[in-house]
Amino acid sequence: MTFENSWLFPVIESIHVMGLAAFVGTIVLADLHTLGAIPDAGPLTRWTHAGLAAMLATGAAMFFSDTARYLHNPAFHVKVALLVLTLVAHFTLRRRGTRFTAILSLILWSSVVVAARAVADFDV
Amino acid sequence: MFNPLLEVARLLQDTPLRLELSQSTWTVPIIGAIHVLAIAWFGGTVFGGAVLGPNPQLRRFRWIGLAILLFTGFLLFWSQPLRLYYSQFFRAKILLLVLIAAVACLPRRFARLGVLVSLALWAGVILASRGIAYR
Repeated sequence: MTFENSWLFPVIESIHVMGLAAFVGTIVLADLHTLGAIPDAGPLTRWTHAGLAAMLATGAAMFFSDTARYLHNPAFHVKVALLVLTLVAHFTLRRRGTRFTAILSLILWSSVVVAARAVADFDV
Repeated sequence: MFNPLLEVARLLQDTPLRLELSQSTWTVPIIGAIHVLAIAWFGGTVFGGAVLGPNPQLRRFRWIGLAILLFTGFLLFWSQPLRLYYSQFFRAKILLLVLIAAVACLPRRFARLGVLVSLALWAGVILASRGIAYR
């Protein structure tokens, strides 16, 4: 499956970024609510999960389009390690809804995003 | 014909900061990372606003996110102004951003429609942005 040079890859990347806005964006809102910075963000969970589904599907599509390219990319390794750690924390620790877990969630998701962006910089 | 985008691109192209930005190994990747973080921040407040309705506190956060997005975006433009000016996708992105600004100026009774139209336009901005990376 190679669609790297066609319009399909950028379109899938774009859906990945839209998923980012919905997924990490709504997590940030919920965490800011936990920290008392903004009012209740309750009905947003649906967007969070829709965003996660979109990100996982498009992420897998990009990975399987060229597995060797990503497996040789150090930033990709860091990203996946951080992502697994952060997802586990998201569905376990963060459920406690304390100030500490909200701050931890903000830091962890930000590092996943930074590592993800670095994947492009380490792409050769 | 006077072309403001080209004029700005030419002006920035000859600045020492452009050289600085385009030659540094880490500056542009770091600015790019902050730009993407701001997409998550700003995108969340857009979804929040669309789902939860208008909220003054949320609006403040949205403006902060948008300011970071525009500022880092401007610096990224500064790092390669002419290359971006000649990218069709970059022009499409600027046009879409201008349209979004115009939609934001619509009177209040069009607010609901405005939210839907600008969400669609933002999706176009993201598509155009990814296109810029390729040509």
